[in-house]
Amino acid sequence: MDSADDAGPNSVFPSSVQPDQQNPSVSERIDDRLKRVSLVDTDALPGDAPPPAPHAIDVDSHAGVNGVLDARSGSEGNDKREEDGGEAPGDVLLPQLVGAEHAFEVTRSSSDAGLRDNFEIEVEEPSSPSSSGYAGERGSSNATTSTGIEEVGEDEIVEADAADSSVWTPGKRHVDEDDGSISWRKRKKHFFVLSHSGKPIYSRYGDEHRLAGFSATLQAIISFVQNGGDRVNFVRAGNHQVVFLVKGPIYLVCISCTEEPYEALKGQLELLYGQMLLILTRSVNRCFERNPKFDMTPLLGGTDAVFSSLIHSFSWNPATFLHAYTCLPLAYPTRQAAGAILQDVADSGVLFAILMCRHKVISLVGAQKSSLHPDDMLLLANFVLSSESFRTSESFSPICLPRYNPMAFLYAYVHYLDVDTYLVLLTTSSDSFYHLKDCRIRIETVLLKSNVLSEVQKSVLDGGLHVDDLPVDSSTSGSLSPHLGQDRSIPGSPDRSLSGIGGPGGLWHFIYRSIYLDQYVSSDFSSPINSPKQQKRLYRAYQKLYASMHSRETGPYKTQFRRDENSVLLCWITQDFELYAAFDPLADKALAIKICNRVCQWVRDIENEIFLLGASPFSW
Amino acid sequence: MARTGTNNNIQAKLVLLGDMGTGKTSIVLRFVKGQFFNYQESTIGAAFFSQVISLNEATVKFDIWDTAGQERYHSLAPMYYRGAAAAIVAYDITSMDSFGRAKKWVQELQRQGNPNLVMVLVGNKADLEAKRKVDTKEGESYAQENGLYFLETSAKTAQNVNELFYEIAKRLAGACPSQTAGIKLQNGSLGRGRSVFCCSV
Repeated sequence: MDSADDAGPNSVFPSSVQPDQQNPSVSERIDDRLKRVSLVDTDALPGDAPPPAPHAIDVDSHAGVNGVLDARSGSEGNDKREEDGGEAPGDVLLPQLVGAEHAFEVTRSSSDAGLRDNFEIEVEEPSSPSSSGYAGERGSSNATTSTGIEEVGEDEIVEADAADSSVWTPGKRHVDEDDGSISWRKRKKHFFVLSHSGKPIYSRYGDEHRLAGFSATLQAIISFVQNGGDRVNFVRAGNHQVVFLVKGPIYLVCISCTEEPYEALKGQLELLYGQMLLILTRSVNRCFERNPKFDMTPLLGGTDAVFSSLIHSFSWNPATFLHAYTCLPLAYPTRQAAGAILQDVADSGVLFAILMCRHKVISLVGAQKSSLHPDDMLLLANFVLSSESFRTSESFSPICLPRYNPMAFLYAYVHYLDVDTYLVLLTTSSDSFYHLKDCRIRIETVLLKSNVLSEVQKSVLDGGLHVDDLPVDSSTSGSLSPHLGQDRSIPGSPDRSLSGIGGPGGLWHFIYRSIYLDQYVSSDFSSPINSPKQQKRLYRAYQKLYASMHSRETGPYKTQFRRDENSVLLCWITQDFELYAAFDPLADKALAIKICNRVCQWVRDIENEIFLLGASPFSW
Repeated sequence: MARTGTNNNIQAKLVLLGDMGTGKTSIVLRFVKGQFFNYQESTIGAAFFSQVISLNEATVKFDIWDTAGQERYHSLAPMYYRGAAAAIVAYDITSMDSFGRAKKWVQELQRQGNPNLVMVLVGNKADLEAKRKVDTKEGESYAQENGLYFLETSAKTAQNVNELFYEIAKRLAGACPSQTAGIKLQNGSLGRGRSVFCCSV
């Protein structure tokens, strides 16, 4: 996990490279037996006959198709089963890397010296390119060719940002470091973006320009494998994992000793690339076609905060691996009122109208047949929230939604209605600022009149779902189950006596993802998951669970029950939903399963309040 | 374009251009909100502000487009300066590079903008005299050659910021005399050449 010793004095770069495995963490594999046992005698599910409500979990009807939580499998779920790493054609194997006849020589020293010291690479440092000639594409409906100012840009752009640090400050930190610094080498998770000629574009830590040599090394590894007609996916070296992602002329690399699964790290690199596209569109590739040694860093000037905030979200925001968005809990009529006025403006030529509170959606509406991918929403929200400039006044800015159309800019009108709540209106027309401004005034008036904004504030203060509020007896579900913001569950229930700290049955936390809605809901952290460190550990555990459930080689699975010294994790996937739950490590398995059924029932009972229903088609 | 309404109300689009970090947003925030922040985040795309200036001869309502100085937004600048009645091209007196970039903006505006555009060259950060790299005279003479109005400002100390916008407002009011027919006595502030001219039409 995250113990500080992991990094050690070693360089981030491997001193020994092992043949990699498609699935690095074999210990993650869930017991085959769990997979085989798809049917369970209903007796084993400790005695709750779900009510025949439309959304109730019907054990019989689900059993054949989706499998049912397995209460019988005796395995403790943490069985470790060794498996051979699949050697997919794309994997790089060290012997090839070492034995190749290539310009540079790899000497495997046992010292800490990284590859950098062993590679002799000539890095060409051309003088600063005159003009990027970068001209972002106009909105998709705009056929006009962009009028670039070709001659502007002789001089080097000086990065003016210097974030002063407080709690968690966005923006680049440790700019003074480079790959020679011990502190830099000890960092647990590095992200690099570089060009296919090896020029640094972005580095999470340290000054990009001082990392030119290191970038060139990464580039050499990637292109060496590419020259062999192959592709390097990742290299595993002791605690470290080096994950590569090639996107045309742009290479992305993550070097991490956080033990996150390969799939998770690759997904993070994909999001990082998406964030870059959101700012520049994929037409930036043309700059590399014109000039392979093109320096892209000036084009990203002033966006360090956007990337650092995205990378930070990889350790707390489940949306980054669930590929789903989450809503602010609101009474159904309140959300309906917000949706109605957004629909109104969407009908007047706005492509997407999105009303959000921090990272949570209040309501969103798309013009007919347009749908917004959850990843685009994540990247857009991150972009807006991490750019302080949007809070100053209303803004009109070109923005690309990579999943919607990676080649074209849309135009975003962004305005904060209060400290946390902001409205984003997207259009394809670059002239429609005044129209969007009028739309915003209309929306704001209606939201104020119908008290939506005050309800939003109230919801922020009230928080979301609490595991303590889980209805104790599912037979009383329906009208009696406590809704959001209402009283806690009935005291003195038998389950309460069994629970340690946390919710009933030792339930600590859960995430429920609705597959059709592309939305998830996550309970608020409560005792004993109090400290940021514990929350991050749980987050990483969920992330692993997700990866193992969705693994292409071995999965997909339907259920998984894992117990280790920290917690019990239970995952259950059906056609309709995915449930991830964390329990006390001493939790009883049968009871945990019962509790999970109850969580699902509860979520369905209050889905009106926690999800955005109906409205538009967001399914992909 | 500056539009004239009744009672000599002028609505004018004003655009700020210049290299990143020259203080465009700081100038606007000083003018519109009277605020100044030592660390001002980079602008994304363009931020929109509006502010009204009342002169004796007219009321000027500014629609201010504070554009981002980053290179990636340059190709989109025409979207913001199209139809502008006035432009402020800003540079940082402590950076010769930013002065060079300002000249490029002036050239671009001259090529593409309208001939009636009121253009002001502004050397910002005048409070950083010790770090000055661009001589006042240099700015002045360039402005003169190109027929621009010139000012050195400091958003930090508020030096010349209001003057800048008042000067633009005056020039716009002068360029757009009242379209309403007849003599308006209440507007006929005496002693101002422009106004007298206005009434005598």
